Amino acid sequence: MKIILIALTMLSLTACYEDTDVTIHEAGVYKGKVDKHNQTSEEREAILAKRFKQVQTDR
Amino acid sequence: MARMKFLCDEERCIECNACVTACKNEHEVPWGVNRRRVVTMDDGLPGEKSISVACMHCTDAPCQAVCPVDCFYTTDDGVVLHDKDMCIGCGYCLYACPFGAPQYPQEGAFGARGKMDKCTFCGGGPEEDHSHEELEKYGRNRLAEGKLPLCAEMCSTKALIAGDGDIVSDLFRNRVIRRQGRQETWGWDTAYQD
Repeated sequence: MKIILIALTMLSLTACYEDTDVTIHEAGVYKGKVDKHNQTSEEREAILAKRFKQVQTDR
Repeated sequence: MARMKFLCDEERCIECNACVTACKNEHEVPWGVNRRRVVTMDDGLPGEKSISVACMHCTDAPCQAVCPVDCFYTTDDGVVLHDKDMCIGCGYCLYACPFGAPQYPQEGAFGARGKMDKCTFCGGGPEEDHSHEELEKYGRNRLAEGKLPLCAEMCSTKALIAGDGDIVSDLFRNRVIRRQGRQETWGWDTAYQD
């Protein structure tokens, strides 16, 4: 009886298996309009870093 | 290359909602759309905490991955933006976003979803900088003006910080070291520091 119970428990637990693999969706290629900027990313980075020091300083 | 990020310091946020108001006002966001909102945990209980939440401009953005029309793009600054002319208002990005950032204006008598709207990190969209179309569709482009998002710039307690992720994390790390494990909301150092 005990063995049957253990076997039944084992069988029922095998049904609880769940696939844990994550489905990864890669982002597609952007199909919209091109976002043009007046400055290069390096120029903008320098400007925004300077701005950060001006307005986001800690207190 | 810079990667623009928001960080909200829950020890400093006082739930004033000024960031929400500033955002709505700056970009003339319509009724029913909140690009930013303040979330309070354990409201009314001792030790309640508030944080200001908007689009976090994820490096690996799930909204971008699920969009069926591929209308999302990431700028050189790491800001996640989208083309409203391509958006079909399907709502996939809303389900994918862990922060609930995508918003939909209700259009028509039966509340049909309009085109998705979200925080642009005050970086406008794929229209000519400072053009009327850009203002109309995405709001003001403060990044092109050499400014950072208004919500963070005007935060009175400096709880909300916006800028290059490296600089933001440095600033926050210094704060944590200075706190030495205690809250900043009491003690003489708070009012008369430096």
